[in-house]
Amino acid sequence: MNVEQSTIPKKFHDAVLHWQRHNFPDYDLLPQNWEKYFPNEPAFCLCAKMEIGMSDTIEVGDKQGAARMLKPSEMGEDAAKHLLAIIRAQASTEFGSIQQHEMTLARAPEDEDRFWVLRVMAEELRHGYQMFHMLTSQDWSSVSRQSAEEMIEEILSMRTGSHVLDAFNVDYDSFVDNVVFAAVIDRVGKYQLAMQRVCSYKPFAQSMPPMLREEAFHLAAGVIPLRRWVQRAAQGAELVTMQAIHKSFNKWMPRGLEMFGHEKGGESNIRFGFKNLKNAEAQSQYYDECKKMIADLNQRYLRARFPKLSPDEAESLAVRLLRGGERHQGVSADDLIELPEQRFFRRKGEPAWTMVGTRGETFADVESYVAHLRATLPEPYLASRDMKQYVETLREVVSGKITADQASKRMPNLKRVGGVCPCSNSVRWIVEEPPATNGPTARAPNAKADRP
Amino acid sequence: MNSAPGQVRIRPLSELDISRVVAIDERLTGVYRPEVWERRVGYYIRRDADGCPVAEVEGKVVGFMFTDLRGGEFGLEEVSGWIERFGVDPDYQGRSIGRRLFETAQAHLLARGATVLRTLVEQEDQDLASFLRAVGFKNAPLTALELRADGAGA
Repeated sequence: MNVEQSTIPKKFHDAVLHWQRHNFPDYDLLPQNWEKYFPNEPAFCLCAKMEIGMSDTIEVGDKQGAARMLKPSEMGEDAAKHLLAIIRAQASTEFGSIQQHEMTLARAPEDEDRFWVLRVMAEELRHGYQMFHMLTSQDWSSVSRQSAEEMIEEILSMRTGSHVLDAFNVDYDSFVDNVVFAAVIDRVGKYQLAMQRVCSYKPFAQSMPPMLREEAFHLAAGVIPLRRWVQRAAQGAELVTMQAIHKSFNKWMPRGLEMFGHEKGGESNIRFGFKNLKNAEAQSQYYDECKKMIADLNQRYLRARFPKLSPDEAESLAVRLLRGGERHQGVSADDLIELPEQRFFRRKGEPAWTMVGTRGETFADVESYVAHLRATLPEPYLASRDMKQYVETLREVVSGKITADQASKRMPNLKRVGGVCPCSNSVRWIVEEPPATNGPTARAPNAKADRP
Repeated sequence: MNSAPGQVRIRPLSELDISRVVAIDERLTGVYRPEVWERRVGYYIRRDADGCPVAEVEGKVVGFMFTDLRGGEFGLEEVSGWIERFGVDPDYQGRSIGRRLFETAQAHLLARGATVLRTLVEQEDQDLASFLRAVGFKNAPLTALELRADGAGA
């Protein structure tokens, strides 16, 4: 791997650091503890990383075989608009996940779990920074109708509840969510980054390999603690249960599936050469991978519970328990984790608002479906604003007051705060230049100076 | 994406390979030790998953080779690619899977700047020593020494 590192212009770099101070105060713990948890590993660097040596030729789409593009102006308006939306959504997810992780980070049962998630958060900050490099290193104004400052301001002002994708608008209930999120939602991230490696816009393609290498650890930071927890659950630990993990999967899987976009979509991404899979293809591969993850966790649980089982015996026992309602020495399907059916609890995409249960069963009325959700989702989440709005909207869809399409467009509808920095009456721009002797201070449009 | 029937696919290590790595190790050593491999796989993924190829046949991981790039240890200042963990499922041995894993790891380590590849082999493990000689390893001008805390083996 051959990677070139760079920093974005100082005012944007400082804006990211300012955002970090308010939204990610634990960041400073990472360098202090790096050697303890990640000995001899290269120190974390808040910088943009570009892979060197990638092909100059477009791999997929209408321009397959032509030279990869280096500037937004070479793409054509439609394609540039489309890619800009992808970059902004990607940036929103990176900053959004930090805000979610931060709320429950301190509740990690073990310090190692905490510092693994802390490293994940720092690398998400770098990924957001990478997207800012995409937005600030080239001129997008012809399709953005915004300056780079305004685009960055908009993204940094997003909060849990006002991000682009639903998965980043849902609060965590406990540290179980930190870990399940890394295993489920970061896995979608891996798919998106892997697909975007082919991107016809070369700087975006070059951004992907370094991000993918970091994302591999994010998935491990989800799966490895989960493996340890299910082992402890099998041995009778009372504080993290299989049911808590199972319910957290039920909470996040629907949002993960929706992150691929509508099942019938993705054609434009291929046509423009931005990705190499349509939404449904990628979503299906993702779902199969999640099935494997769950099967591994169940096997880990069963082998900890019944140490004499061989790997094959544990695997077939899990299948029998989940399929047949069998009991084995006190263990039943209720003690295992089961991946919810793809249509469960969906609010976007083809199965949106269809009232399908975790095992694919269908419900005819809202009340019985809500009862099913109550039984299958984490209890603290049931009392959330997100759930309240989901159920209210579902009632409207079922009663015919609004269409499923209208309901999907309404989600997320949780905007609480936007455009306000917690420390002051506005914004996060640092005034770079000293005040001019005979004129106003140079500032971003509509921005006020940063005075904590 | 699974490999075609019977074909061997080599790809970087991922967190979902832990179960199969544990199972291969269990078949080779007779010991079930998931905690060891959870820790090690976490480490290698953080370090460089591309330098840790796994071999897959019809979607099932049947072999792995974990490597690391380091320099400055034991006075060996050259950037060295260390072959640290290696295993092939006994049902799939004899199909050049070890060689393909090694070639992939070697290419990656050399591309990252390794000037020498190194490893340590237990003296009794003649099969492994033979394999390593077959792919080009030679005796190094070094001797591995140890001093056990309990005085055993002295």
